[in-house]
Amino acid sequence: MALLQISEPGQTPEPHQRKRAVGIDLGTTNSLVATVRSGSAEVIAAEDGSLILPSAVHYGADASVTVGRPARERAGEDPYNTMLSIKRFMGRGIGDVKSFGDQLPYHFVQSGEDAGKGGMVAIETAAGTVNPVQVSAEILKVLAVRGGQALGGELDGAVITVPAYFDDAQRQATKDAAKLAGLHVLRLLNEPTAAAVAYGLDQGEEGVIAVYDLGGGTFDISILRLSRGVFEVLSTGGDSALGGDDFDRAIAGWIAEQAGLGTDHDVATQRALLDRACAAKEALADRTEVEISYGDWRGNLNREAMAALLDPMIDKTLRACKRALRDAGVGTSEVREVVLVGGSTRTLRVRERVEGFFGRAPHADIDPDQVVAIGAALQADVLVGNKSRDDLLLLDVIPLSLGIETMGGLTEKLIPRNTTIPVAKAQEFTTFRDGQTAMAIHVVQGERELVQDCRSLARFELRGIPPMVAGAAHIRVTFQVDADGLLSVTAMEKSSGVSADITVKPSYGLEETDITRMLQDSYEHAEEDVAARALREARVEAERTLEALLVALEENGAELLGENELNELERAMEALRLAHNGGDAEEIRRRIEALNEISEPFAARRMDASIKRAMQGHTLDEFDR
Amino acid sequence: MTQQLNYFEIFGLKPGFSVDREALATRYRELQREFHPDRYAAKSDREQMLAMQYATRINEAHNVLREPVARAGYLLELAGVEISPEQTTADAEFLMQQMLLRERLEEVRGEADPEAALDALSREVGDLFTAEQDRFGRLFVDGELEGASDSLLKMQFLAKLQRQVEELEEDLLGDF
Repeated sequence: MALLQISEPGQTPEPHQRKRAVGIDLGTTNSLVATVRSGSAEVIAAEDGSLILPSAVHYGADASVTVGRPARERAGEDPYNTMLSIKRFMGRGIGDVKSFGDQLPYHFVQSGEDAGKGGMVAIETAAGTVNPVQVSAEILKVLAVRGGQALGGELDGAVITVPAYFDDAQRQATKDAAKLAGLHVLRLLNEPTAAAVAYGLDQGEEGVIAVYDLGGGTFDISILRLSRGVFEVLSTGGDSALGGDDFDRAIAGWIAEQAGLGTDHDVATQRALLDRACAAKEALADRTEVEISYGDWRGNLNREAMAALLDPMIDKTLRACKRALRDAGVGTSEVREVVLVGGSTRTLRVRERVEGFFGRAPHADIDPDQVVAIGAALQADVLVGNKSRDDLLLLDVIPLSLGIETMGGLTEKLIPRNTTIPVAKAQEFTTFRDGQTAMAIHVVQGERELVQDCRSLARFELRGIPPMVAGAAHIRVTFQVDADGLLSVTAMEKSSGVSADITVKPSYGLEETDITRMLQDSYEHAEEDVAARALREARVEAERTLEALLVALEENGAELLGENELNELERAMEALRLAHNGGDAEEIRRRIEALNEISEPFAARRMDASIKRAMQGHTLDEFDR
Repeated sequence: MTQQLNYFEIFGLKPGFSVDREALATRYRELQREFHPDRYAAKSDREQMLAMQYATRINEAHNVLREPVARAGYLLELAGVEISPEQTTADAEFLMQQMLLRERLEEVRGEADPEAALDALSREVGDLFTAEQDRFGRLFVDGELEGASDSLLKMQFLAKLQRQVEELEEDLLGDF
C-alpha cells in the first residue's frame, strides 16, 4: 500500500527510531535527570561530572539567571535573590507561605493580575517578580539541555516526578513549569511509585511494599502491591510541607538557644545557623557526637540529643504510615519490603524509627538521591514507546479526597482519597432561580468536613445554561481526574443537551493568561523569538501526530478502513506534511486539528478492536445470550 | 464499547452477588494492561482521550464490583430497582439494635478498657455485616427484590457503623 511508504526521509522521523526520553526528579533541594541507555537506567552527569543539580536559582540585578551550584553558593551573601527550596511554594498562596513558620528571606507578593484575590505566591527579586513556576522552569531547562546533549538531540518527552501527596494545584504548577521550559510531559509520576519501579524491576519483587520517602521539604508514604509487572498503589499519604529542611531548622533553633541568640535573627544569621545545623546532622551519620561553634559559642550535639529534636517530626511521618496501611487494608506484617527514598532518610534516627515501626530493616541499596530519577527514566522509556508494551504498568491513586462546597460551608466528597486514577464522577445540579443561566462550583481537596479546613482548588463558573424555571434545569457536571492526577470539569444541561461554558479560577494556580504572558516574557530573554518557538513546537506536534498515525495504520489500517477513508486520511496527512515544511505555525495547528478529526473514527475502531481482543476467550460465551 | 457493557460484562463475570475476588483482581490487571492511558502515551490525542475514558470506566466497574454494598446496589439497579437516599428500613427490631450499637459506640471512651470494648463491638458489627451479606445473596438469587432492597438498606447501616468504629479506633490509637 502506497500510503505506508510516503514518509520522506528528513521530513518526519522513522516510526521505529529510538526516542529521546528522560525522567526528571524535580526535588526540593536537588534535581536530577536520568535516561535509559543500552538497556539500563542511569543518571546523566553535567559536563563537570556532577550528577546532582542543586535546586537553586539566583536572579541578578543585571537580569542574569544562574542555576545550580553557583546559584546555591550565593545564598549566604545574597539570600533575597537566591531561590532555594522553591518546590515548597508551588501551588501555594501567600497565606500558606507565611504559615510555614520559618524565617524565609524572601519578599513575598501575590502573583497574577488580580492581586489580593488569592493566587500563587510570587517573590520580588533584583531581576523582577518571579513565581515558583518560573523558578522551577529554570531548573527544568538546565536538566532538559543536559538530557538533550547526552542523547544527541531535542527530547521527545519527559516523565517528571512529584510527591505523591501533592494536591491538584501543586501538580498543575509542576506541569505548567514543564510547559514553560518547553518540555513535552509524558506523565507526572509520583515519587514513591518511581522509586518502587526502580527497585521492583531491579529485584523482581512480588507482594506488598512500603516506600518511605523523606526529601528536603516533603514526606510521602506509599503502599504498593506488585504483581507480574503491575505496580498497584493501594494507598498513599504524607505531608507536602515536612522534610529534612525542618530537621535543619529544629537543630538551628537548638544552636540559637544554646548560644543565647534568642529566636529572632536576621536572614544572614539564620542562613549561617542552618548551614551549621545541616553539617552537624550529616556528621552525626558517622559519629556519635559533633562539635558546633557559632561566634564565641562552642558546644556539642550528640545522637541522643538530636534524636530528641527530630522525634516529634518523625512521629508525624509514622502516623502517616499507619494511616496509609489502614487505608490499604494491609497489616504491618504483610509488608514484604520497606524502601527508603530521599536524602533525609540518610539520617540514622529516621532509619532506626522506620525499622522499629515496620519491624524489618529497610532497603536503601539504590542511592536514595538517585532512585526516583531512575524509576522515572524507566517509565519514560516505556511511555515514549521504546520498550515493548508488556513490561510495566503503574496504577496510581489520588492522594486527597476531592469535594465540592455545599450549603453552609460544608464539603461533599465526590472522589475519596486513594481511588485509582483515572477516575470520574458525575454530579447533578439544578438552578434555584427562574431564568438562571450561570452557576459557580467551588472544588476543594482534603479530608475535613468544613470547606475552610480543606484546600481550595478552583472555582468553576458555568455559563450558557438555557433559561428555565427554577429547578427545571438539570446540569450534569463531570469531574475527571486523569492519569497525571489532574482535575478537569465538564458540564452539560441534560434536557437540552447544551454543554455549559466553564471558566476556571484556580485558587492558588496560574490562569491560562498568566502562562501565556510568562511564555512571552521568557522569549524576551531567550535568543529565539515567539514565532520561532511557536513554529518549532507546532512542528514537533505535527511529527508526533503523523507518526502515531503511521504506526496505527501499519498495525491495522488495511483491516479497519475502507478505501475512501484511507484516501481521505492520506490526503489530510499529506496536507499536514506540506504545512510542516512551511513556516506557518497557525497553519500547522489547523492541519493537525483537521487530521485529528478525520482520524477520529479510525481511533474509535482501533479501541473497539482492542476491546474485542481483550474480551476474547474470556467472555464471548457469556455474551452470546 | 465498554460504555455499553455493564460492569459484570466488562469483567467477564456472571451477574450475581458472590464474586471471586481473585478472578476480579486478575481480570482488572489484564484490562488495565490493555487500556490504561500509559499504553497510549505515544498514540494520537484522540486515542489517548478514549483510553482515559475506558480506563476510567474499568476503574469504576472495579470499585463497584469489589465493594459488597456498591455491588448489591448495582445488582438491584440492573434489575430495575431504584433506592433513593431517603429510603430506610421499616424493620423496627433492626433499628432498635442499631440504636443500641450506636449507644455502645458512644460509650466506648468511658469504658475501663476502651480498646477491648471497641474490639468487641467491631467484631459484632463485622459479624452482623457478614450475615446481612449472606441474606442479601440468598434473597437476590430467589428473585425477592423487595426483601433484597431491605437487606441492602441494612447493609448500608452496618457499613456506616463500621466506618465510625474505624474512625474511633484511629482516634484512640492516634497518639503514640
